[in-house]
Amino acid sequence: MSDEVVYTPRELLACVAARLLNDGESVFVGTGLPLVGALLAHKLHAPQMMAIYEGGSIGPEPKVLPWSVADPLTFYKAPVILSMSSVFGHSRAGFADVGFLGGAQIDMYGNMNATCIGPYDSPQVRLTGSGGANDIASLCDRLIFMGLHLPERFPEKCDYITSPGYLDGPGAREKAGLVGGGPWRVISHLGLMGFDDETRRMKLLSYHPGVTPEIIQQCTGFELLVDDNVSETPKPTEDELFTLRNLVDPNQCFCF
Amino acid sequence: MAHANDRLFDHELARQVKLKKTRALVDKRMELKDAVAEYVEDGDSIIETGFAYVRGPMAANWEIGRQKKKDLVGIHTPGGLTTIFHEEGGLKGSHVAYVGVEMRGLVAPFRRGVEAGTLEVYAEWSHGALAASLRAAEQGLNYVATKSMLGSDMLKDNQYVKVGEDPWTGEPVCLVPAMYPDVAIFHVHHADMYGNSRIWGLSVNDTAIAAAARKVVVTCERIVDTDDIRANSPQVIIPWYCVDAVCEVPYGAWPGDMPGLYYFDRRLQERVIRVDWKTPESTKAWVEEYIYGTANHYEMMELAAHEEGMNTIEYVKQLEQFATSAAYYNIGTMGTGADRDWKYEEVAKRAI
Repeated sequence: MSDEVVYTPRELLACVAARLLNDGESVFVGTGLPLVGALLAHKLHAPQMMAIYEGGSIGPEPKVLPWSVADPLTFYKAPVILSMSSVFGHSRAGFADVGFLGGAQIDMYGNMNATCIGPYDSPQVRLTGSGGANDIASLCDRLIFMGLHLPERFPEKCDYITSPGYLDGPGAREKAGLVGGGPWRVISHLGLMGFDDETRRMKLLSYHPGVTPEIIQQCTGFELLVDDNVSETPKPTEDELFTLRNLVDPNQCFCF
Repeated sequence: MAHANDRLFDHELARQVKLKKTRALVDKRMELKDAVAEYVEDGDSIIETGFAYVRGPMAANWEIGRQKKKDLVGIHTPGGLTTIFHEEGGLKGSHVAYVGVEMRGLVAPFRRGVEAGTLEVYAEWSHGALAASLRAAEQGLNYVATKSMLGSDMLKDNQYVKVGEDPWTGEPVCLVPAMYPDVAIFHVHHADMYGNSRIWGLSVNDTAIAAAARKVVVTCERIVDTDDIRANSPQVIIPWYCVDAVCEVPYGAWPGDMPGLYYFDRRLQERVIRVDWKTPESTKAWVEEYIYGTANHYEMMELAAHEEGMNTIEYVKQLEQFATSAAYYNIGTMGTGADRDWKYEEVAKRAI
């Protein structure tokens, strides 16, 4: 029965993301796919999830998918709306459990790039710049990254470190003076990754239905460690898909 | 003439300007055209306010383009729609925290400018660091020590911040100086004629920016009586003594969102980002038609509506239907803003 469930890669991404968020936690939500994952978790199993948006809103009631991290839907019935400096300040102070980001590149140490592809001084592609991504990665207690899994998007070393992961390995984050615990999970359309406690390198935890660890390695620009207990990612359930399609993203802004 | 960047972190210059601002309750109402002509000078640094396409001063931005202001220095936190003017000579360079439109994509004119080297990026900022910088200016602090930007490559590409050592704990901190932009233009829901400005929704960095900037223009959906402001002061985010000019500009945030009043004009935004601004030629054609080809904001709205085969009133009504009831924006029935009947007529009057 469950084998017959039909879903798109983006829908799977959203469901995997939602499962990583626990009820009662605070989640600093970045733009793009994280908006979907956080909202889906909120509607499924985390009604007490506290969403934080860089526009300044904290704890809105979930409605349909916002179009922006400052969309009025991000402060729908929010009990409080603070300023941008306050929500980042609160994150450093310890009110943000999970940071949730997308971006153009992530490397083997979980450093993220949203600034440029190619050299900074003569970029092939000039991207948006940090926005709140650097702050979310620097200040939240742990970090989830979502993105498409291609060798150039998962390089050994990012073209530019916009948002710090473990920098160049064990101890570097602490040495740089960063407060948050750093990257915790990476969700791609191929698999779910974590980081090795000792080497701080990215490690495959589960592969999505239809792909194998070998395929994922071929789509990765560095040697991906593989967890001893690596397994197949559970497919989206009908409940997850119903909620996603009807209550989170009915207009298919994201999940198509 | 000194570069705008030389004034940007000058504490004393900023203080001298503010010592000269009037504290008196004087009528500061002006036409938007005149306010832009007087307060936005060639070569100024201009900071984006609101959240770019949410309660952003879009009518004022278009008017700056229309008046062909030259060599401005943009501070994009976030924003960057104004970078379309760089190919027209309107923008010399940028301080970048974020230039983009989230899931709609990159702002192609900005991308072209930086990739070709015609648009200089003076510094890379994170939203948090730039917000802290503005907050420092508002709080009267020379600088702040933050935990943002540490370990990142942005430290190399921002000559204004420094990594220092916390004198108490010895740990590394990123030292961010207080920033004082030359000019800031805000769009708010209500203002009185003295400049007290009230909003619903997100203030983002606006309270800090208003205290930091040398010149401040407020555009508002509606000018209200000052007694109404005084009865609801918790919603005021900008006080009168910061403000130099007040302009009544209904739909001033269009094609962005104005919380509680009208939603993003998604059709137009998707089209300009994905199609109209894709090449220098198409951008120029768009600027010629939408900016230089229109006398004001309302002619521009009329053009957008007609291109969709609609009359302006129907077009605007559609955007308003998307906006969730004002009751959810912490205003309840307070103030006069919940009365929304006036707007169609207002636009009709100005669109003709």
